[in-house]
Amino acid sequence: MNLRSALKPGVIGGIVITYLSFIGMVERFQDRNVITGLVGLGVVLMLVAYAITSYTTARKSDSPLPTGIAVGFIAGTFVALMTLGLEGLINAGLDVRSMFVSVTPGLLETLEFGLNPLVGAVVMVLTSTIVGAIAGGLVKLDNHLRSAIVYALGITLLMSLGEPILRVTLGNLKIPTGWLYELGGLTFSGTVVVVAAAFGLRWWWMNRADVRKEAAALIPDGTRRTRSRASLIAIIVVLIALPWIVGPFVSDVLGTVGLYVLLGLGLNIVVGYAGLLDLGYVAFFAVGAYAAAIFTSPASFLVTEEGQQFAEAGFTNLWIALPFVVIIAVIIGAAIGAPVLRLRGDYLAIVTLGFGEIIRTLVISDWLSPYLGGAQGLTRVPAAPPDSFDLRNPQHIYYLILAFGILAAYISYRLVDSRVGRAWAAMREDEDVAEAMGISVVRYKLLAFAMGAGVGSLGGVFFAAKIGSIFPNSFGLQVSINVLAVIILGGIGSIPGVIVGAAALVGLPELLREFGEFRLLIYGAILVAIMIFRPEGLIPNKRRQRELHEGQDPAPADLPEGAPS
Amino acid sequence: MSHLLELEGVSKRFGGVQAVDSVDFFADPGEIVGVIGPNGAGKTTLFNIVTGFYSPDAGKIHFDGHNLVGLKPNQITRVGVSRTFQSVRLFSAMTVLENAMVGQHTRTSAGVYGALFNTRKTVREEQKVHASAIESLAFFGERLTPRINSLASELAYADRRRLEIARAMATEPQLLLLDEPAAGMNPAEKEGLIELIGRIRDEKGYAIVLIEHDMPVIKGVSDRVVALDYGKKIAEGSYDEVAADPQVIAAYLGKAGAEEQA
Repeated sequence: MNLRSALKPGVIGGIVITYLSFIGMVERFQDRNVITGLVGLGVVLMLVAYAITSYTTARKSDSPLPTGIAVGFIAGTFVALMTLGLEGLINAGLDVRSMFVSVTPGLLETLEFGLNPLVGAVVMVLTSTIVGAIAGGLVKLDNHLRSAIVYALGITLLMSLGEPILRVTLGNLKIPTGWLYELGGLTFSGTVVVVAAAFGLRWWWMNRADVRKEAAALIPDGTRRTRSRASLIAIIVVLIALPWIVGPFVSDVLGTVGLYVLLGLGLNIVVGYAGLLDLGYVAFFAVGAYAAAIFTSPASFLVTEEGQQFAEAGFTNLWIALPFVVIIAVIIGAAIGAPVLRLRGDYLAIVTLGFGEIIRTLVISDWLSPYLGGAQGLTRVPAAPPDSFDLRNPQHIYYLILAFGILAAYISYRLVDSRVGRAWAAMREDEDVAEAMGISVVRYKLLAFAMGAGVGSLGGVFFAAKIGSIFPNSFGLQVSINVLAVIILGGIGSIPGVIVGAAALVGLPELLREFGEFRLLIYGAILVAIMIFRPEGLIPNKRRQRELHEGQDPAPADLPEGAPS
Repeated sequence: MSHLLELEGVSKRFGGVQAVDSVDFFADPGEIVGVIGPNGAGKTTLFNIVTGFYSPDAGKIHFDGHNLVGLKPNQITRVGVSRTFQSVRLFSAMTVLENAMVGQHTRTSAGVYGALFNTRKTVREEQKVHASAIESLAFFGERLTPRINSLASELAYADRRRLEIARAMATEPQLLLLDEPAAGMNPAEKEGLIELIGRIRDEKGYAIVLIEHDMPVIKGVSDRVVALDYGKKIAEGSYDEVAADPQVIAAYLGKAGAEEQA
């Protein structure tokens, strides 16, 4: 082992922890219990930083254990010296906080584990060295064991962080939680149970996966189909029960996730299937929302003064308006598609970006404000009958969004393996060749825009119905970017990917709410990490995954010399 | 108009370059026409004009009773002209089978409605597409059939060339345009290609036009050879006639070389 090779990652680990301390993250996180009375989140943050630097360095080393120990030791020493240095400066009467606002006595107490500074420094170095040793040791363990250990620790942390939601959920299920949670964190006994259960389950699953791989070939096709159908039904049952298990707050988040699933499925047709990079997708969302509002709100310009009284009761039924909204969106989608048909790739992206902005500018404009309400937006979008089904109730509208989400998923699923889907795939890969194969690129581009617009407008309709009033600033560029991020994060061209992507992108910030000002920092870091470690997305389209990892396979052997590139 | 494909005085200019200069050309069913000429002679441009990727500045193109000038490439494929590309251009992220299935596009009609409701017509059509794709692939013996579920990009080079031809055949054409099908193949593979092209003609009855630099291949398959240089047709006839033509020799070897040969 080369000590110098451990120096750089060790110092980097130390600097990272110093940085997190100086911006106040460590101290702020320490207020949050992970294991109540024993470990706070600030300490966990440090331990994770030590573990990651040690593990990543040890993995590349010939002698992982000593490397892990060395990296941990160096990082810990760095942090300990930094802490002692701060103590020294403060004792010398220097006002450190005038420069570093977050260097508080509370932070120092955390960094010293509440002990005497010198003893604290020794404990810090010892802790980091032990973490480094464990991380280095993990490298040598066999796959199953390592995976089980990492899962056990990870799930414990998630269980602890998910306390606000999980406690409510378990409460709704009438499962007592007193033994598990205490003062916002896990109890000690709860931790032991969770670690053991997660370890055991993962261990069992990994071993079972091995057996299953061997057995998979023996299972007849029909049985496999029945099984996948059974698991699909199970998922749908869970989805139906979900709002009553998790309560109104999480249901509301689920509704938002559902809206993004709808938008994502629509954009997935345009970007994932047809390969047309559309940065103005928000336009279709806006068309859906505004069209729904115009058709249903008593404040709509379509309502005459004489009709006002009648309209108060609900001008047009949302259910009647729905198909018209979709038809309008499809027409507008094709109309937006038409002028950009000749454009490809980057150029198309920029032009669609422009279209998105044009729509936003139009809805906010004074010119159209008699019809679209301008900056005031359109309000009083009524709930749809029957009265017992309240669209403002997050637990109710969830079902509406779920139903149409399933419909959109079904449409995507049917299309992708059809003649239409193949034509899109061919066009995505090479427009000229697709044309030479007899595919009318013009027609299929228009079709993709129209289908994407139709599905996206559904998102708009339910957005309007859910909120009850719509304002122009809900339809900015950010929506287009978020929807695109949903499908990239989940895996372009993959239907389950869109669902998981939407859950991650919309759900994470909600779950991270308790981290206050650090929420978006963590959120951004997680997104970057996902894209680095899984560039193909969380649940990739199988074909794309093969494509992305193609470079790792040996090249075709019989490539003749002098082959034209 | 007795020929299947007939070009009359077709010209195309790119800026200052006269890429194709009033070329007359024809091809008949069951005939293999080789097109030769040095780099930049306008061979591929000619293909691009016939298949609708370029519109000619002047001239007429007739195919099986259709006027091809002004038609889009996809419409030209529909009337029965299919092509391969000089650099292999497969749909690399699609499987071998799917590549061939795309070729069936113009011979089928299922749309969104059929796909969503899986109508009986769509099901039958998909079965037909599948069967016909398998058939085009089977034409290549054991080269493609065992690999129908591999990605096109996972194929060996020569097999990618074969798949390109299979995909073009899946469009059920009457005329097949092959742009340098032998490029990058080794001698044994070229032998196989000569045999294959002959077999396609015999079994399918297509008219086949191929651009090729490899003279043994041209010699091996062509019923008739057309030589282009600087966009002009400089010779036409049997391989031996064209190969002996002083203008052709001059075009390939330069004037000095031609004199030396003489």
